[in-house]
Amino acid sequence: MKRVTALGFDFILLAAALLLLAFGILFIYSSGVSVVGGRSSTGEFLKQLAWAGSGLLLLVGVILVNHARLRDLSVYLYGLMILLLLLTRFVGREVHGARSWLGIGEFGIQPSEFAKITTILMLAVYLTGIGKGIRELPRFLLGLAIVLLPVGLILLQPDMGTALVYFPIFLFMSFAAGARMRHLAYLLSAGLGMVVLAVLPHYSLWLLGREAGLLAALTGFGLARYILAALAVVTALSAWGYWGFKRRYFYWIFYAVSLVFACLTGAMLINRVLKPYQIMRFIVFLDPQVDPQGAGWNLLQSVTAVGSGGFAGKGFLKGTQSHYQFLPQQSTDFIFSILAEEWGFLGGLLVFALFLVILLRGIRIMYIARDDYGMYVAAGVVGMIFFHVVINIGMAMGIMPITGIPLFFLSYGGSSLWTALIGVGLLLDIYFRRYGH
Amino acid sequence: MNGEQEARARAIALAVFISAAFFVLASQLFFLQVIRGWEYKRQARAVTRRELPIPAQRGEIFDRRNDFPLVVNQDSFAVDLMPAEVPAASRTQVLERLAQVLGLPTEEVHKRVPEKYYHLYQPIEIKGGVAFETIAYLAEHLSDFPGVTWHNKPIRNYLVPGSLAHLLGYVGDITREEIQILYNQGYAFGSVLGKSGVEKQYDRLLRGKDGKRFQMVDVTEKYLAKRPDEDIPPEPGNNLVLTIDRRIQLLCEKALGPRIGSVVVLKPSSGEVLALVSYPYFDPNLFFTPAATEEFNRLSLDPSFPFLNRAIQSVYPPASAFKMVVSTALVEEEAFPLTRKVLCTGQIQYGDRVFRCWRKTGHGPLDFFGGLAQSCDVYFYTVGDLLGVERLSYYARDFGLGQPTGIDLPGEVGGFVPTPEWKEKVHHMKWLGGDTLNMSIGQGYMAVSPLQMANVVALIANEGRVYRPNVLLQVRDAASGAVLQRASPELLHVSAVRRETFQTVQQAMRQVITEGTANVVITTKAVEVAGKTGTGEAGFEEQWHSWFAAYAPYQTERPEERVVVVVMVEAVNTWEWWAPKAADVIFQGIFAKQTFEEAVETLRPWWYLEERRKEAARVSTDEEIR
Repeated sequence: MKRVTALGFDFILLAAALLLLAFGILFIYSSGVSVVGGRSSTGEFLKQLAWAGSGLLLLVGVILVNHARLRDLSVYLYGLMILLLLLTRFVGREVHGARSWLGIGEFGIQPSEFAKITTILMLAVYLTGIGKGIRELPRFLLGLAIVLLPVGLILLQPDMGTALVYFPIFLFMSFAAGARMRHLAYLLSAGLGMVVLAVLPHYSLWLLGREAGLLAALTGFGLARYILAALAVVTALSAWGYWGFKRRYFYWIFYAVSLVFACLTGAMLINRVLKPYQIMRFIVFLDPQVDPQGAGWNLLQSVTAVGSGGFAGKGFLKGTQSHYQFLPQQSTDFIFSILAEEWGFLGGLLVFALFLVILLRGIRIMYIARDDYGMYVAAGVVGMIFFHVVINIGMAMGIMPITGIPLFFLSYGGSSLWTALIGVGLLLDIYFRRYGH
Repeated sequence: MNGEQEARARAIALAVFISAAFFVLASQLFFLQVIRGWEYKRQARAVTRRELPIPAQRGEIFDRRNDFPLVVNQDSFAVDLMPAEVPAASRTQVLERLAQVLGLPTEEVHKRVPEKYYHLYQPIEIKGGVAFETIAYLAEHLSDFPGVTWHNKPIRNYLVPGSLAHLLGYVGDITREEIQILYNQGYAFGSVLGKSGVEKQYDRLLRGKDGKRFQMVDVTEKYLAKRPDEDIPPEPGNNLVLTIDRRIQLLCEKALGPRIGSVVVLKPSSGEVLALVSYPYFDPNLFFTPAATEEFNRLSLDPSFPFLNRAIQSVYPPASAFKMVVSTALVEEEAFPLTRKVLCTGQIQYGDRVFRCWRKTGHGPLDFFGGLAQSCDVYFYTVGDLLGVERLSYYARDFGLGQPTGIDLPGEVGGFVPTPEWKEKVHHMKWLGGDTLNMSIGQGYMAVSPLQMANVVALIANEGRVYRPNVLLQVRDAASGAVLQRASPELLHVSAVRRETFQTVQQAMRQVITEGTANVVITTKAVEVAGKTGTGEAGFEEQWHSWFAAYAPYQTERPEERVVVVVMVEAVNTWEWWAPKAADVIFQGIFAKQTFEEAVETLRPWWYLEERRKEAARVSTDEEIR
């Protein structure tokens, strides 16, 4: 066993996280500065300082607890979080139309945030546990089930954006664990296919002003019923053929047909579950001019704020789109927009670089981790952070639909900040103990 | 592939995937901020910045002495209301109180601030032309008037009201029709522009250039603290110095008196107009009072057309004054020896028609000089017939008749010179010899404006050269007073007629004064006058148009001291043969440098005794008004 030295600590990763944290506090301060009368509302900025302080304590705590010990606790933590999610579903506080907050006195937390960590831990345990690995289909499906349980509970809140984050976690971890590409591809295609098929009819109705013929056949309830029935029959037949005759081509027929079947049923389910405003988010993502003063407003204002920042930005506290209140939710969902407006392309690039440092250090930690458990946890944390960054910043720049996913380290909010810092704590811990017990 | 290698490959794959995703993000950021950054900056500016005009100070107008402004801008205020700043609870009381202070009906204020504006953070103008005292009252009781503000909106003050009204014109708010035409020339809604006279003609010199005030607004359209360094200050308009001499203008105004007609005084050596009077006139200052609309409507419907600038916008038969043109043609064409006499018996037989002389008893035998001096119609019937209509028309046009002189005032009319072709085309009748005879004495179809008549005299006085009449002398910088532009005389026309011909006509015109028709009325000793009377038929039994067109001094070494005076008194007035009488006083006043009263006192003309009491009464009331 090598000696634990200060050099065994990933300072670069920590520094990147701390810098992002500092930027976040700066721009939460900026978002609170109102030009009218020059007053500044300092509430959020001070609260975020408190969240950051307590979050860093948590981070240290995570490092102090060997992740090997955590492994034993993972199942219980996962169970506890599932209970909390259930509790939230029934007694949670409703904010922005979703019952996602669990109040403890003055404070409130979002269990759906912390559940990401516990799900990562649980999945890591599963991947290293009895029967090992994820190459076989039943193993893959069982692993997926571990993820789908919290996802289902979160969708009930309903909070689609947060639920989505669990999929990249699963994909990253199962990829790291050596899952078959065809399984991963199936999952990805099914997810994308569902969303595309769910949105396309609305898209054609809104943007093209007519019902698309073929799409109507696929998604309308009249004809779709028969198509689904036919697909179900073909799926069943191909499954019977595969198991009955053990012919390879039956497998691929089953693969393709069941994928189409899954996409169509999934799309129909999504259409039943999604609220009109959520559909509109996709529509305005495709063309914000459909409703520039309404659903498209956030997206247009955010892109305008980012674009008007230019190369060097307007200067700290000098943004117009943000300070004149054109930009909504500046401290949470659109924190990147205010940063890009005031610090410009250079500032944005710096933020990208810091996130990239965290993610690539994370990949490195995953690779050099002493144990498989640490490796899978690292993969999960990287997947989680990656998805948050790409979705949030993509949204601020108009290349991702609005989903309400916060930007880790920067966005105002205790739950997401704590989740991010716990994640970084896990990475640091895995790196710290990479040479053994 | 063993586990170790596969784990390595998968880690590298993830790293590559993540890096690629970040590359896409960075590219999009580059695209938004660097490539299209300028576009978004403009867009951001468009939604956050409002552009408000800062009105430029309109230039002032001076007479040729440049010592005293004829038009100035007077501070005046407009009261605004920012509806969103009025508390909902006290809205009714505030609007009612405001209506009371401004002297408006409460409904009027409510009409200006309809309910849909209640949340507006933009000032709405409630009333313009508000007196300083009212503003002072509002300022002292500001707490009773939440949301009430005011801004400076200067009005035009015409300091020398009276006969300058037509010449100076007046200003008004731009209309929807005007903005369609003028939009590309920098005018906008809310622009004030000249509606007539010099104000209209030189609007672009006077108006200056409005500045811009930039106001940042937030998403609720609320005005935010601003950076004044971004403002573009207005460029004030230029001051204009006119050729008008306000002493002569007043002299002419009084000499014409309350008679419908006009007076033109100009310098033939340069075309500078010294006075331009048209009666009746109006007071443009009334257009800035609360009763503006009523006043405007009243003047528009007045049967004597006070808005008409008769000196340039009315045409009349030139009558005997046209004999100056016929005389020039006669002398130049040598169609008839000047010394040969024509016997006037009071009438002449032409075909089956009898043409009468104005003097029914006849003039006896008259040569050219006698003919013009006595304005003998029979003489001019005879020579006009000899010259023929073609030559008469040619000379009329050579004198500038039938076309506008091009004076720098809007709305000038060109009058008319008939031709045989015209008569056939329009009236489907052949031009007859009788038409030529009528034309020879300035009757019939011919129509001439007083300004054109002034140019006829100017051409004779200048011996063949005539300058474009102009009223603008100098353009000056409003702040420094430096001369930016100086109007130089513009040669309008050079006649092919020989100088000697004009000298002969001048001599004949002098004889009109010394021994002819004007002998008894042109009594001034201050200067030698040469001119021609005219008495035009206008369909009245005992009333005629009265012309007098003259210049003085008759002979001079310094042509620039010469002035042309044309007085035209319409036949609608009681017949007084007023034109030469007024001209007599005007020449006396100009050359003896006297006021109207002094000139009349000096001349003590025979008509003065009967007019004296009446005139004195009018003059004194006028004095009080001044």
